[in-house]
Amino acid sequence: MASSEDLTAPLYVAWQITNECNLACLHCIEESGPGKAFRDELDDKQVFDVIDQMMEHEVPYLSFSGGEPMLHARFFEMVERVCARGGQLKIETNGHYLSPENCERLHRLGVKAVQVSLDGASSGTFGRMRVRGEFDRTIAGVRNLRAAGVPIEVNFSPASFNVHEAGAIVDLAYELGAASFYSGRTMFTGNAVKAWRHLSLSDEQYDVFFGVLRRKAEEYRGRMRVHFHEAGLLEELRYRLQSPAALLIVLPNGLVKIINALPFVCGDFRRQSLPEIWGNFRRAWQDPRVAKFISDLADDPGKTRTLHQWVHL
Amino acid sequence: MGATMQLAKHVKFREEKFGGVLFETRSEKVFTLNATAAAVVREIAAGHDQKEIAARLADRFSGPPAAIEREVAGLIGDLQQKGLVEDSARG
Repeated sequence: MASSEDLTAPLYVAWQITNECNLACLHCIEESGPGKAFRDELDDKQVFDVIDQMMEHEVPYLSFSGGEPMLHARFFEMVERVCARGGQLKIETNGHYLSPENCERLHRLGVKAVQVSLDGASSGTFGRMRVRGEFDRTIAGVRNLRAAGVPIEVNFSPASFNVHEAGAIVDLAYELGAASFYSGRTMFTGNAVKAWRHLSLSDEQYDVFFGVLRRKAEEYRGRMRVHFHEAGLLEELRYRLQSPAALLIVLPNGLVKIINALPFVCGDFRRQSLPEIWGNFRRAWQDPRVAKFISDLADDPGKTRTLHQWVHL
Repeated sequence: MGATMQLAKHVKFREEKFGGVLFETRSEKVFTLNATAAAVVREIAAGHDQKEIAARLADRFSGPPAAIEREVAGLIGDLQQKGLVEDSARG
């Protein structure tokens, strides 16, 4: 397996294209919400320049997320720019803008998949997590994706008040036509810090949750992929320290993080080219501050609350 | 034999100094290719069939043609078995 050291460019770019969102989810790691767009988000020229650089350097796979990416004023033009140049693109959305017309357009443009967050199998549970969210509108949006022939993925974030519906949500995802279902542990950062007493699960609850997902993965084998990461954050970061994924996280203002779960910034698309940033990325993982932060997490897991206090390497 | 192949719809290929990478974006799996495997994938992407690929590589690499044919057949079989390559007609 080639390490990121050997590669000429990233293999995957996860791009939060805006921090604006119509919802204010309890667990949002980006602290997105209405009126939460960064004041210095990339302008149109910068946005298309970044896309062109990624395509020129043959980044094979991108995702657009947010915030709510479909609220970006140039969203469809950005999608078109990537897809027309052969990039594989996934959209990560809350599903509230998936009208039949928009789904048809996404299909026509050739997106690889649309991932919709479904944090409840019922309106009440969904609404507790996804503040201002509308369950029925989200479900209708997913059905519109299916009708338009857009590949569907469903994402679920567990919390104390929705984990009992985990099995039902997997079933619902399959009934809605999802090709993949994703889940893992909800992170203690962003909005989740303030809402943690409503969100946190004990180790025993996680054991039960992952047991449900293991059974569902078996039940749907060959029909829908059920992916979930049981590893805790510390374990994941220790692994990444040895073997960084060839993945850049691009923030709405063009800053680039080495991984979402750390505060370290290795570049800025407003001032630097993709090759420069990629070079910085590879060096950044060797920076002793990264190893120290991860080491310190073992003693103080609450340090993840500081992920938005960016550290420029 | 003679049927042309193509990379599967969700597979992207990129050349690298060490050979290349194939990224299967549905499963998000990355496959690393050495120089020989990358050369085969490049020929598949260019629309050549298995026989043509073996002949073209025999021109470029030293070694007995029969061995090169076997290696190409093995690589293509492996790529097909992993769902990374499919017949063009299925496209």
